[in-house]
This record gives sequence, structure tokens and C-alpha cells, in this order.
Amino acid sequence: MTSLSATLAEPQHFSLPEKLLFFLLLFASIWLFWRRFGPILEKILKSRKDPDFRLAPIGRRIWDFFTEVICQVKVIQQRPLPGLAHAFVFWGFCAFALVTLNHAAVGFGVGFLDPAAWYGRVYFYLAAAFAIACAIGIAGLFIRRFFVRPRWLGKKVSNESGVIAGLIFLLMVTYLAAFFTTDAAPAARLLWWIHTLTLLVFLPLIPHTKHLHLVLSPATIFLKRDGFSHIPPLVGDEDFGLVAGKDITQLVSLQAYSCVECGRCSEHCPATNTGKELNPKEIILGMRGYLNGPGPASEQAILAAEDGTAYVSQKAVFQCTTCGSCEFQCPVGIQHLPIMVGLRRGAVNTGTWEDDYGAKLFNQLERGSNALGISAIERDKFIQKQELPLFDGTQEYCLWLGCMGGYDPKGRDIVAAFARVMQHLGTSFGVLKKEKCTGDPVRRLGNDLVFQTLAEENLKNLAQNKVKNIISICPHCVRTIQEDWKAYGTPPEIEHHTEFMARFADRLQPIQSQEKIVFHDPCYLGRNRNVYDQPRQLVQITGTLIEAPRHRERSFCCGAGGGLAFLGEETGDRVSHTRAQELVATGAQTVATACPFCNTMFRDALGEMNGTAPQLLDVAQLIARNLDS
Amino acid sequence: MKIIVAIKQVPERDAQVRIDSSGKWIEESEVQYAMNESDAYALEEALQLKEKHSGEVVVVSAGPERVGTTIREALAKGADRAIHIDCSDLAQRDALGSARLLAEAIRGENADLVLTGLQSDDLGYGQTGVILAELLGVPHATLILHVEKTDAGLKVKRELEAGWFQEIELPLPAALTIQSGGNKLRYATLMGIKKAKTKEMRVVSAADLGAAATPVATLQSIELPKKQRSTQIIEGDAKAAAATLVEKLKFEVRVL
Repeated sequence: MTSLSATLAEPQHFSLPEKLLFFLLLFASIWLFWRRFGPILEKILKSRKDPDFRLAPIGRRIWDFFTEVICQVKVIQQRPLPGLAHAFVFWGFCAFALVTLNHAAVGFGVGFLDPAAWYGRVYFYLAAAFAIACAIGIAGLFIRRFFVRPRWLGKKVSNESGVIAGLIFLLMVTYLAAFFTTDAAPAARLLWWIHTLTLLVFLPLIPHTKHLHLVLSPATIFLKRDGFSHIPPLVGDEDFGLVAGKDITQLVSLQAYSCVECGRCSEHCPATNTGKELNPKEIILGMRGYLNGPGPASEQAILAAEDGTAYVSQKAVFQCTTCGSCEFQCPVGIQHLPIMVGLRRGAVNTGTWEDDYGAKLFNQLERGSNALGISAIERDKFIQKQELPLFDGTQEYCLWLGCMGGYDPKGRDIVAAFARVMQHLGTSFGVLKKEKCTGDPVRRLGNDLVFQTLAEENLKNLAQNKVKNIISICPHCVRTIQEDWKAYGTPPEIEHHTEFMARFADRLQPIQSQEKIVFHDPCYLGRNRNVYDQPRQLVQITGTLIEAPRHRERSFCCGAGGGLAFLGEETGDRVSHTRAQELVATGAQTVATACPFCNTMFRDALGEMNGTAPQLLDVAQLIARNLDS
Repeated sequence: MKIIVAIKQVPERDAQVRIDSSGKWIEESEVQYAMNESDAYALEEALQLKEKHSGEVVVVSAGPERVGTTIREALAKGADRAIHIDCSDLAQRDALGSARLLAEAIRGENADLVLTGLQSDDLGYGQTGVILAELLGVPHATLILHVEKTDAGLKVKRELEAGWFQEIELPLPAALTIQSGGNKLRYATLMGIKKAKTKEMRVVSAADLGAAATPVATLQSIELPKKQRSTQIIEGDAKAAAATLVEKLKFEVRVL
């Protein structure tokens, strides 16, 4: 054993045949890498340009790159142990970039980092520390993949991952071992060659395996679209969404090739977890399969070709609740929802999706005013009965009822409760005489024709009524008005009622209560809008907040989103039942929600449960209850 | 098979109507319009027959310029071309007057089959289709839920009262009035709307058709249905009260 003062041993004076051999092997390795990577890059570049891509805001991109790539925040935060192991490997690779360059340069006798110089010493020691961490990390990941075998990595163990892990381990060990020998020793030469050969085998394997993410994902994360679950505009008369290869954009291609198959998307997907066909990972891999097959210029359908082969299952695509867990979880910057909704658009805008419930919903919204298919007169009756003031332009806020608030009995209760809170606060508000569905369900189901009509009619109506500020009890309305309507005009400012109430929390009467209340984060309020604290602040006014195992960013969908509330019976378990059981298991006396769709899903799910179900209330109802007593 | 579908544009089902100053019609500017429901089913039947047996689907609609949106909807759903009879006096025409317009507009087409909804959601005469058949000189059947093409002509399923159905056969050419609910309606698609822009929509004026508007029946006035609420308390013991209740439900309210 040598003392710590040892330096990294580098063989000196390579013979000409040695140099020649190294050169040939290096050339072969790079050629093998490029032979696979070149066509992939070509497919990405030959894909259609993203019509709405803008590099701005560059600050956001740099920040995402810094946190998600450099700091590995998402990787670690969402799966701490394997995440940390991965981060060690990643940081090890970063530190090794210079080491590897120097290592290759030594082979040609032009090494630039002298191990004996002070800077060389400092750098190589630093790299050694990273190498130890990296070796431990990769060993940990190997044990996880082959012995712990989490189901999200897939049923089949990928042997190539084992080989790659072995190569990485060998790279680190040969580097570290070089500290324990001297430049002149034959061992140094042997280590140099083993290290070199490992590198040269590793390089061409990258584009052949999911390790392609090493090269692509930093770019994918930097280049990803602005906004969460953003649905890009259709451009021109021939664009109907993701129908065939010709519709696949560069970002979609880049993202499809970046998938590292970690299965985080599947782990959090409400459809995958309730025994449905949909597995978001398979959708992305299906897109990749399509790009490898028919390719980016093809006219062949992605969902179903004439010979019956489909790269992506249409049935699976229409099982998505658009909860956004996959997109939120993805560590390599894949944006699943533009792809999922894009495929739906392709099927619906061309009429290839045949579904009785879907067609009924579309027809209802083509003619009528709401997604529930109820006569608009019923909304008028509710407004009269509840004595809600009509918006006349003088009030501060327009209270947007939405389909659930205007037509659903439970939704109406929430509106009534919230109106009481507003009256208590002395806020002036009014409701519109006429209102149409915001188009959320048809937007998520991919019907651009109906969505555009609804968005334009509503925007016109709001402008005529001179509405400046909207409050809604429905996170779906909030998201659709604020984000999706932008494609057709400038929507007024809008906020969710929990955001509004939280601003006046000091004027809402708190009650010292031991009542245990579990809050369910609606997908469209949480992941879509980043509103997590406001509803919790309000719940704490009225009782003791407890958390479900999956909460905040990791909240599990109620099953209603993506237009699925209006489609037929689910296959497998019901998403709403799975979530309701989780909420009941917390032992809460009350389940609090902040979305009328979650409310209606849990109402049914709790009703079918054995034993005494907890009571189910919207946050507005909790607050209004305090005002009453 | 060449199929013609006669479609009417009517006030939207949710429309809150107000009677105009003449007392004979509603304030048209205040309502939104949609395709008459049973006409939508007639169109669906035509499109399905075309898909099975090939041919052409032509839609015909009478009314002012606004009718164009309903025609485009039909083209978007798959009709091949359209005839728009430009007229602004449809509400003043009786069923004979409307049927004459349609008959003159489509006579030259020599269609194999003429379909229309069994009645309009606004005036609800339920006669335009059968008069149209008479004017064209073809056999007709009403209240059709299902159409099947046979070698001899058509086999159709009619809805009768009290849950009864009738199956009859008739030769082609023929005219049918279609009942709502026999099929599931398809939805209009973005691609359909874009394709519809390139499809032929021939506009003919009512004057050119030479169909007289002289009504044989005139509309005197229209009024909104009156809301009535009356409560009766039925006295007596349970048995007698039940008998009285059944009798009242049967003969006074007529819901049994």
C-alpha cells in the first residue's frame, strides 16, 4: 500500500504500434457510436419543427438545467435513495470528463494534466473522491435493479444495464487503482489499457441502450416546452394533432429518444395503477418505435395502421386522466401530456376515435351549453333560487360557476357555500347570465373544433360583460380559462376560490377543533397550478390537517380528469375507489377537496364503501361551516 | 345510391324564446340556431347507408343566410354537397309551402331516397316529409328507426305507439321521415370542417324555384306554454284514495 501522497500513475512512452492500435480502436469506437447515434440525430432533426418553440424565457431554461441536470433535484427528491446513487454516478461522470480527455491524450503522448503538478494532484484527488462515490452509486443501482427488482423497472431485467453498470464500475476501479502503482510499473500500463478498452466499449453502447439519455436528456431538459401540460397550437389546414410521422415535432422526437425507462411515470400513473392498459412509459417507447420504424416523414398512422399494427394503443391513450403525474415525475424532461393529448387530437380531429360516450359529449357541447347535457334553464333557476347577484360590470369579481357549479347538486352546494364566504368578506361579485362550458373535457379529449368554438364564445361573452377578474370553484375551469384559452384571445385574470379565501384567512373565523381533516390535492390545482399551501392553510382554520401518503406533488388522481368523467365504465379498478380508500385509511373524519370533479368522484366512491365513510366537503364548505356556527 | 336529406335549422333547444311584435313568431335575433334533432338522425342514417352501399349524400335546407352554418355542419359530418334554398319566409309557410320549396329544389336530382326528420322542433307540423313524398310522387313511410337496403328496395322499422314496432318493405325511390334515437350520432371533426370548405354548396332563391308561398293554413298566433300548478288533496281511506288517484292520473293528467 502506498501512502496518500501517491499520484495517479500514467504509463509513459507508448510505442508506435501501441499508439496505432489505440488510434484504430478509438476510431472504431467513435464510428460504432456514430453509426447508431447519427441516424437518431437525423430522425430528430428531420422531424417537423415545433411551431411555437421559443428559447425565451432563457432564465427558466438555465434554472431548470441547473436544478434538474446539474443538481439532480428531481431525480433525488422523488426517489431519494436510487436518486442519490444516480446523482453520484452523474457527478462522477462530470468530474471524469477532464480525466477521460487527459487519459486519451496520454495515449498520444500529449497529456495536459500533470499528476505530479499541484493542480493535477488536486484535480485527480477530487476526481478520485467522485470515483469512489460513483462506484458505490453504480453498485447500489446494480443491486437495486437485479436483486431488489422494483416492479416499475419492468418485468424483464435488462441485461445490458448490468453490462453498463459493470463497465462503469470497472472504469472507476481502474482509475482508483492507478493511484497505487507507479508510472514505470507494468501495472500502470495494464490499468491504462483496461480503462481505455472499457471506455471504448462503453461509448458505442450508449446510443444502443437507454443510456442514450446520457447524451440527450441534458438537451431535452434545457429545450422542453414552457408551461405544464402545455398543448401546442395546430398550424395550417393539414395539422390535426399527432396522426402520423409527419406530425411528430422535433421536441417530441427528442423526448421519445431520451426516455431512460425508469418507470417513474408508470409508478405514479392512475391508469397503470388500477389495472388499465395505459402505461405512459409504453406510450413514449411506442413513439420511439414508430420513429425507428416508419420514421418522422411517414404518413402511416401512429395509433393504428391499415394492417392493424399500432405503435401506440388508441385504447390506452384514451384512458389517461391528464393528471400530469408522469410529466411532473419525468427526470429527463419528457412532456407526456402534449404527446397524449396530441395523439387524442389526431384521433378525434380526423374522426377515427369511435366512442359512444365521447360522441355524446361532443354533440352535447356542439349544441348545448354544458358538459352535463342539462338545459341552461336549470342554471337560471339555480341562480334565482340561490339569489346570486348577476354580474353587471360594477362588481369586483365575476363568479364563474362552471358546469359542475351551475348544474351538479353537490357543485351547487359548493358555490352556495363560497358565495356565503364572499358575502361575509364583503366582496362584491356577480355571476354571468349565460355561461358555456370552458371546454376543458373536449380540450383534453382532443376535440379542437368544439374547444375553439366554446373558447371563442366565452371570450366574447366575457368581453361584452367587461369582466376583469374571475373566481372559480373548479380548478379545471381555472386552468382552461387561464392557459388554454390563450390560443384564441386574452382571458381575464382568474383564480381558484382557495387562493382567494387564503388571502383573507385572517378574517375567516378559526375554530379550535380536533376534527381530523385529510386534504386531497386536485391535479389541476396542485401539479397544474402549484397551489398546495392555500387550501391547507384554510383546512387548518377549521380542524387538524392530516396528510394522505400521496399528497402535494405526488397526489393521486380522483379519475375524473381528461374528460374521463364523461366516458363509460373504467376497466380494472376504479381510480376513484383506489384514492378514496387511501383517504379513508388515514383515519380522517372529513375528506376535504377543492374541486367539484374530485368531489363527485369521491361522493360515489365513499357511498359504495363498507362502514361509516368520512364526510366529504369542499374547502369552501368547511369555511362556510365556521361562519354559521 | 343517391340520398337527399332535407334539414331544417331551428332555435337551439336551450333557447329562451320571446314572441315578436307580430305575435306570430319569435324574436329571431335573440336565439342561437342548431340542426333540427330528428334531421340530424336522418343525416346519420344517410351517411351510414352511403358507407355501406356507396353513393352520394346531398343535403338540402331552406332558410336565410344563417342556415349556412347548419349546412356546413352536415357537410363536415360527411355529406357530399348541399343545396341552400335562400328564403326568409319559412315561418310563414305552412307544411305544403315548405315541401313545395324542397320538392322543386330536388326534383331534378332524381334521388333514390329522400330522408328527413319526422318533425321540426320549432313548428312541429310533422307533415313536410310526407307532403314532399307526395309532391315527388314516391312512396313514403314515417317514424323510421332503422333502414335496411334489400334487393327489392328497402326494409324499414317504424315506431308505433305503446312500444310497438312495425316492419314494412317499400320499393325505391322512396321518402322516409326518421325518428330520433335510431342511431348514434357521429361528431363533427376539425378535418371534416376543413374538407367542407371545398364542397359544393349551391344557393337557389325561393323565387327561382317558382314554388308558391300561398298558404292553405295560416298561423294565427303563438304563445309560450303556461305554467300550471294545482294541488288536490284526495280524502278517504287508503284504498279508496288509491283508486281515485289512479283514475285521476289516467283520465285527468293522462300519464298512465
